[in-house]
Amino acid sequence: MIKEQKPTVFVVDDDAAVRDSLRLLLKSVGLPVEVFESGQDFLDADRDDRPGCLVLDIRMPGMSGLELQVKLNERHSILPIIFITGHGDVPMAVEAMQAGAVDFIQKPFRDQDLLDRINQALDKDAGSRRMLAERNMIRKRLESLTPREREVLDLVVAGKANKVIAGDLNLSQRTVEIHRARVMEKMEAHSLAHLVRMVLEVERPEA
Amino acid sequence: MPHKHTRADRGAASPRTVRSHQELEFRALLDAAVDAIIVVDHHGTIEEFSRAAQQLFGYAPDEIVGRNVRELMPEPYRREHDGYMHRYMTTGEPRIIGTGREVRAQRKDGSIFPCDLSVGHVRGIEPPRFIGFISDITARKQADERLRRSETELQLAQKLANLGNYVMHPGGETADYFSPQLHRILGVDDSERRIVRDEYLEKWVHPADRKRVSEAFERMDAGQTPLDIEYQVVLKDGIVKHLHHIAQAMLGSDGTILKHVGTIHDVTDRRRAEDEARVLQERLTHFSRLSTMGEMAAGLAHEINQPLAAIATYAQACQRLIRQPDHDVEDVLAALEQINAQALRAGEVIRRLRNFVKNREVKREPVNCSRLLEDLRTLAETDARLHNIRLRLDCEEPLPTVYADPIQLQQVILNLVRNAIDAMSEAPEDRREVVLTTRMAADREVEITVIDQGTGLAPEATEHLFNPFFTTKSSGTGLGLAISRSIVRAHGGRLWHTPNDDCGARFHFTLPVSPAVTTGE
Repeated sequence: MIKEQKPTVFVVDDDAAVRDSLRLLLKSVGLPVEVFESGQDFLDADRDDRPGCLVLDIRMPGMSGLELQVKLNERHSILPIIFITGHGDVPMAVEAMQAGAVDFIQKPFRDQDLLDRINQALDKDAGSRRMLAERNMIRKRLESLTPREREVLDLVVAGKANKVIAGDLNLSQRTVEIHRARVMEKMEAHSLAHLVRMVLEVERPEA
Repeated sequence: MPHKHTRADRGAASPRTVRSHQELEFRALLDAAVDAIIVVDHHGTIEEFSRAAQQLFGYAPDEIVGRNVRELMPEPYRREHDGYMHRYMTTGEPRIIGTGREVRAQRKDGSIFPCDLSVGHVRGIEPPRFIGFISDITARKQADERLRRSETELQLAQKLANLGNYVMHPGGETADYFSPQLHRILGVDDSERRIVRDEYLEKWVHPADRKRVSEAFERMDAGQTPLDIEYQVVLKDGIVKHLHHIAQAMLGSDGTILKHVGTIHDVTDRRRAEDEARVLQERLTHFSRLSTMGEMAAGLAHEINQPLAAIATYAQACQRLIRQPDHDVEDVLAALEQINAQALRAGEVIRRLRNFVKNREVKREPVNCSRLLEDLRTLAETDARLHNIRLRLDCEEPLPTVYADPIQLQQVILNLVRNAIDAMSEAPEDRREVVLTTRMAADREVEITVIDQGTGLAPEATEHLFNPFFTTKSSGTGLGLAISRSIVRAHGGRLWHTPNDDCGARFHFTLPVSPAVTTGE
C-alpha cells in the first residue's frame, strides 16, 4: 500500500471515433484515461502494471484484442479487461471470458453500463493489487527471519508443540519459546492463527 | 441427205419424173426450215418428212413416209388421232388447225418430248392435205421448270428465313416487285398495291424510329452508302415487329435513281430472345451481387455499427459534460462535430451498399480505375477487417479512363477480393494481406490485379473455375467468377489467373482504354 497511484482506464481501439468518444466519456466522469490505437502500441507503452483497467476492442486489424489478452497473460498482467464486441462476436467473447476477461459489452452501449463495468473492474484491480501488496509485505517479513527462526516457524505452522520442536531441533524448550516470540514479533502476527494464514497466503497459491 | 427423192420416190407411184419449179421451191423450203415439217393426207398418211423432222424423230424418210402420223404420237394422242381427223373432216370444226398448241411427241426410239405443234389445212387439192410444224420445246420446258422451281424455293426460303425482298422504281414507270413474304411481314394482302416510301414511313415505321429511318433513306438516295438499319414497325393490327432492312439505290448515268433493291428481314424473334437473354443475364448478375453482399453482411454490420457506437458515446459524454457547471464548451463542440461526421460516415456506407446492391440499368461511362478502387475500399475493407486481413492499394498514376459500368466493375473486383479473403482464412498473420493493383498494360489496356497469399488453386479446381455453379466454398453460389468473367468480356476485356510468386493466386483482368481522352479529370 505504498505508491499511491490513481487508477487509469486504458482504451485500445483501432477506430479513431470510437476511441475518441470513449476518451471524452471517461473524461466527463473524471476518470483518468489513456487511449491506444493498437495492441502493439499498448504493449510498447508498458502500462499494464499500473492500476486501472483495460477497455479493449475485440476485433482489430493486426493484433486482435484476444491476441493482446494472451500477451498480457504471458506477462502476468493482472489488469482487468473489459472487451468491446460487435454483433455476432459471442464466440470470441466466450473465448475472452475463458482467458480471464472480467466482462464484455456490445456496442453501441449505454454509457452507464460501461461505467458500471469499469467501476467493477477498477474495484477488482484495487483488490488484486491490495492482495499483491500484502503478499509482498509478508514475504518481506519472512525474509527478515534468521534461518533458525524460519525453522521454528515452519514447525509451528506444521502444528507442532514447543516441546516437540525442541526435540526435533535439539534445542532447549526455553530457546524455542524465545525464537517463537521473535517470529511472532517480526511477522506482526496477532495470534497463531494469523501467523498460519499469512504463511499459507504466500506459500500456496503462488504459481 | 437421204431424202431428196422423197417426193420422187412416192412420185414413182404416180408417173411423174420431172420436178416442177414449185416443187423444187417447196423442197428447199422444207429442208431449210428449223422446225420439223410433216405433210399428211386426210387419213394421216405421211407424205413429206422434212430434214429437221428426220433429225427430231430419228426416222429416215423411207422408214416413215407412207405410214400414219399416229406413230409419231404417244398415247393417248395415238389412240385418239383418227377420231380428231374424222371429226374435222365431217364437221369442218377446227381444234388445232390455225391455232397451235403444246403437245407431246414420240421419237423412233420411243422417247417422248414436249413440242409446240401447229397445223395448216392445204385446201384446193384432193385429197386434202395437212402440214404440221413441230418445234422441240424440251429446253424451254426445262428452263421453265428450273425457273419455277427456283422461284418456289426462293419463296420457301424467304418464308423460312422470314425475309422478304423488293424492287421499287421511284419513277413509277416500271412495276414494283414485293415478294410474297414481304407482304406477309408487313401484314398486307398479296395485292398489286404499291407501297411508296412516304406511306411506308407514315403507316408502318414506329414513330420513335421514323426520323432515323427517314434519314437513312435519304443517305442511301444521296449516293454510295447502302441502307443497313434495324427499326420497328407497327402493323395495322398493332403488332410490333423488329426489322433489319438492307437496301441499295441503283443510280443511272445521270445520277437519277433507277430503282431501289432491298431485303427486309423480320428479326423480331431473335431480338426478343436476345432481350430475354439480356434480362436473364442482368438478373443473374444482380443476384450474384446480392449474394456477394450477403457474404459480406457481417462486415457491413460492423462497419455501420462503429460510427453508431461512436455517436452514442459522444452524445452520452455531451450530456454528462453539459450537466457539469464548469464544463469545457470546446469539448462539447468537438463531440457534436464528431457526431455529425460519424452519422455521415454511417450514411456513406449505406449509400455505397445501396448503390452496389440496387437493381439498375447497365450504364457505361468513362471510369477512372484508381478512383473506382478508392470508392470500393470502404466495402472491401469492411470485409477484410472482419477477417483480420489488410487491404493494400497500389495504383499506378495517372491512368487513362476505361469505358465501363462502374458498379459491374466494382462487382468483379469485390468478388475477386472476397475470394482472396476466403483463400487466406487460415493464413499466418504475416501473410494476411490482399493487394489490389492497377497499371497500364500493353495494347492500350488497363490491368487490375488482385493478389492473395492464400492456399492457391488446386489444379483440379482451375479447370472448372469459371464454370457456373462450381464452388469450393461451403456457402458459395458458384456464380461469382462465371459472372465476373462474362462482365469483363462484355466490356471487351479478359479475366485470368496466375499463381502468385510464393504462395496464393493472382487474378487479373483487363479493360480497354476508352477511346476519347487518356487521362481522368
